[in-house]
Amino acid sequence: MELFTPDSGLVIWMFISFAILFIILAVFAWPAIMKGIAERANFIDKGVEYAQEAKSQLDGAREEARGIIDEARRQQADILRDADKMKTRIVEEARVAAQTEASKVMDQAKESISQAQKEAEKNLRNEVSAFALEIAQKVVRNQLKDEKSQKELVETLMGDMK
Amino acid sequence: MHQRLFRYMVVIMACMILPVFALRGEDLAGNSAAAHEEDKPIDVKEIIFEHLGDGYGWEVPFNHHKRIPLPVVVKGSDGKWHVFSSGKITDHQDYTEDGVTFRLAKEGEHKNKIVEVDALGNETRVTDMSVTKNVCAIFLTMVVIMGLCFWLKSWYKRNGYKVPRRGLGAFEALIEFVYNGVIKSTLKDKAEKFAPYLLTVFMFIFVLNIMGLMVVFPGGANVTGNIAVTLVLAIFTFCFTNFFGTKHYWKEIFWPDVPLWLKFPIPIMQLIEIFGMFTKPAALTVRLFANMMGGHMIVIVLTLLIFIFASFGPIVIGATSVVSVVFSVFMLLVDVLVSFIQAYVFTMLSTIFIALAQESGHEEKHEKKEDAGGGAKEAAAVTTL
Repeated sequence: MELFTPDSGLVIWMFISFAILFIILAVFAWPAIMKGIAERANFIDKGVEYAQEAKSQLDGAREEARGIIDEARRQQADILRDADKMKTRIVEEARVAAQTEASKVMDQAKESISQAQKEAEKNLRNEVSAFALEIAQKVVRNQLKDEKSQKELVETLMGDMK
Repeated sequence: MHQRLFRYMVVIMACMILPVFALRGEDLAGNSAAAHEEDKPIDVKEIIFEHLGDGYGWEVPFNHHKRIPLPVVVKGSDGKWHVFSSGKITDHQDYTEDGVTFRLAKEGEHKNKIVEVDALGNETRVTDMSVTKNVCAIFLTMVVIMGLCFWLKSWYKRNGYKVPRRGLGAFEALIEFVYNGVIKSTLKDKAEKFAPYLLTVFMFIFVLNIMGLMVVFPGGANVTGNIAVTLVLAIFTFCFTNFFGTKHYWKEIFWPDVPLWLKFPIPIMQLIEIFGMFTKPAALTVRLFANMMGGHMIVIVLTLLIFIFASFGPIVIGATSVVSVVFSVFMLLVDVLVSFIQAYVFTMLSTIFIALAQESGHEEKHEKKEDAGGGAKEAAAVTTL
């Protein structure tokens, strides 16, 4: 069977051809191709890593921004609440002050009124007493027009003194 | 899309049916010379072996007699090299150069080989270094592979980190597939050392296989289905396995870890191990050769069925044509797959054999052994393919 007997000429040509092909490719092609593929793979890996890092950084930044916004919002709420509190306090204070002022004024007014009343009372009393005295004087004078009555009075008084 | 497909189908069917009518017409015409020639019984075996074997010329399509002439290089009995065109001896005629006569033997032991004819008409085989069809196909393959490789290399130089697309991208994907899938996963840190050889082997077999499937000129040669070619490839693998074998590998051969009586005084294990060294490349040789030759043979036989059934009349020949064409197309498609698988398997087996010879030391013995065990099992499974 000629199919199963290797032909020496073909063996030699094959050996030479394959050896040449192998040497040329091993020296000039395969290392360069392997290097090219490996370098590109590294480059892609690095790119992916970089992108992941960038993404995580972006996520971080977003988180941070959200934190800042939240903080600002909280501060705003605090400030508003404080302002509100202050407002009510001021109003309250003002109200209290006004009240005290008003009550003071009222007290003063009351006092002055009562003083005036007292004064008026005093005056009235004085006047009444003066008037009464005058009346009494007049009555007394009237009653003591005669001697007899004068003596009677002295005697009464003397009797009272006893 | 469907319309287009339908149109193609119609054209294909027409191509298959038309010859039937043509033949019937010839039959009706009666005794034309061509019809007579077709009536002669064909020598199937002759045709098959001509297509499977090597040749001094390269067939051209649609013509059985004309061949592309290739240089014949033979050493005559006068001790000189003779170089002449194969066109001079195609029809088994004598060719005389410097008093030495050569001829393409018609029959006998050296059938279809060039022999020297002495004065008495005795034929003797000469030292034959002719650039035959197969040698030519090997040269073409070399050019194709080198072209692809240097194209890819220059792509990296020109385009930096850009990924090649289309054809070059496919070529690169193939390289990466073999490198990462076979070489790196088996040889680990030694991958870079042996990758050039293994990649060359893969590309060489793959391109030859695919070119062998193309029926017209740059292809059609059954190179990987030739035992000389697979033998040389296996010898290369043998050399790479043994020349780079580690101390441990040689120790396993000459002083393996077995009971003493198995290796001394009668070296039973040594004999088995040394025998094993040679069976590995032998298996490589035969399986690639047989697989590729089988693929070619099936397609040829399917095609020849048409001519074998030719004598049964136009209806049978028409039916056989359709069936044969459908089956050969199917087989050729399978062969495309086989072309890849065979190149892949040859590379994988070579890788495993080299990896087995790269085992070293006791520190990594355990995991390596497991590895090698898996590899050997894989190898055994694949060898049966």
